[in-house]
Amino acid sequence: MKGNISNLRKLTILGILVMLAAVLYMTIGVKFANPKLFHYSMKIRTPKLAAMLITAFAIGSASIVFQSIINNTIVTPCLLGMNSLYTLIHTAVVFAFGTTSFIMTKSNLAFGIDLVLMGITATIIYSYLFKKTGHNVLYVLLVGTVLSSFFSSIQSTLTRVMDPNEYDTLLATLVASFNNINTEIIVFSVLVLAALAFLFRKDLALLDVITLGKNQAINLGVDYDSCIRRLLLCVTLYIAVATAMVGPISFLGLIIANLSRQLLKTYRHSELILGSTLFGMLVLVAGQLVVERVFVYSVPVSVFITLWGGIYFLYLILRNSRR
Amino acid sequence: MFAKKLTKQYDGKTVVDGVSFEIPKQAVISMIGPNGAGKSTVLNILSRLIARDGGEVDFEGKDITQWKSRDLAKRLAILTQTNNIQMKLTVRELVTFGRFPYSGNHTTKEDEEIISRAIAYMELEEFEDRFIDELSGGQRQRVYIAMVIAQDTEYILLDEPTNNLDIYHATNMMKIVRRLCDELGKTVILVLHEINYAAFYSDYICAFKDGKIEKFGTVKEVMTKETLARIYNVDFEIMEIEGKPLSIYY
Repeated sequence: MKGNISNLRKLTILGILVMLAAVLYMTIGVKFANPKLFHYSMKIRTPKLAAMLITAFAIGSASIVFQSIINNTIVTPCLLGMNSLYTLIHTAVVFAFGTTSFIMTKSNLAFGIDLVLMGITATIIYSYLFKKTGHNVLYVLLVGTVLSSFFSSIQSTLTRVMDPNEYDTLLATLVASFNNINTEIIVFSVLVLAALAFLFRKDLALLDVITLGKNQAINLGVDYDSCIRRLLLCVTLYIAVATAMVGPISFLGLIIANLSRQLLKTYRHSELILGSTLFGMLVLVAGQLVVERVFVYSVPVSVFITLWGGIYFLYLILRNSRR
Repeated sequence: MFAKKLTKQYDGKTVVDGVSFEIPKQAVISMIGPNGAGKSTVLNILSRLIARDGGEVDFEGKDITQWKSRDLAKRLAILTQTNNIQMKLTVRELVTFGRFPYSGNHTTKEDEEIISRAIAYMELEEFEDRFIDELSGGQRQRVYIAMVIAQDTEYILLDEPTNNLDIYHATNMMKIVRRLCDELGKTVILVLHEINYAAFYSDYICAFKDGKIEKFGTVKEVMTKETLARIYNVDFEIMEIEGKPLSIYY
């Protein structure tokens, strides 16, 4: 019980830090005296902040869930190429319909189509991958890395044979970043994330038991295979939403999921997911604040995340191998 | 509980070949046999961990695959050999999972009492707040048994519970198995490699060879020179200690 209280305190502190970062992000450098400038700053910053918070939630929870499914903490969906797959699907859809078609001009509709395709292909590919490799993490990681570059290669081939004008339009949505957020889909994304969390709430409640391993989970009455399939579908769609909104950020999931696990030292997924989300919000908002105010937009925040993420990844691997 | 004509193949090789038997209630039933004879596979089929290729398993009048997994978890528990947990879990938290089929993630007051009783029964009170990965193999095995006790099922299936344990802990484990049956009225089905443990602590022995049941009967019926020699292709002598047949092989 003692662990519970201190975890609650840790999460509260984390939450306060996030709020602090968010407030600073919204207020630093804002000219409150001039209402026009004030409005303008708010118009620019609000969607960005919203996108960051949503992304943090999507990536944070997806990474924790994914790690628990395959019972390993150094693998994240992005390392296995899930965001490359999404980029590929998006390119393929644009390629097939053309940017001027009815579907493409309605960005939410296009996004919806992307999501459906992503849900289907990713669930098939990754559940097959897990089955075939028998959940052996090294194989999963290896095949995942290969898949990741495989998807990127197909994607770049597609863009090369594309009409240059089409490609130009596509690029704007493809290389989304925090300086170029896909704002049109924010509301739709929130709806998708909320709906998924609601639909799969029963499976999410089973996560604690699933981490005991397949045999124990079945022993305790979990309908294992179908539960894993539903959770995987949920993960892929969360990753798709995050990638669509702000583009791929490879190591974010790894960092925040592991920080959360290290800080909270618990098996309770409600706490782990909350911790991971809060860490994500903190990293993104504070990172973006530094990028905008200190580096004056010269370096995108994803570069920092990838840099530190890479180092952290090596540290995790070394620490694990020493045991 | 009974099985009829169970079959299972791996990559075209038949590991379980038309196995039929009936499990007597409130008894300890040991499955023995050489490596690869199919005993573990049969145990895993009985517990729905492995899908069978043919035959049927009837559990309380209904086929095991027709049961809702959650309902079955209240009647039948299985403990396998490999239990790697990546999480930081305390002893009490793990035992608490035994109540999952009943109450999900939120335990009631009654659950807490059952959990405490299970921990006390396995004499684990002093370890209650220790983390699982800090315990020795024998202690960890006892924690898992406590979890199964908290699960409160009529049937308990154990896959080589004495594996990796030294003589002291293995003997203790077998005494616990006996107590589960005698004191708590459970039906315990277990896979064992050590024939004499099977002979001394079980009521019935089910001997496997080449995916078939060679002999299923009371300990006295199975523990004969001829039967054991046929199963293991090794010469045996049978002695009697405390009225129970024990085997010597060399």
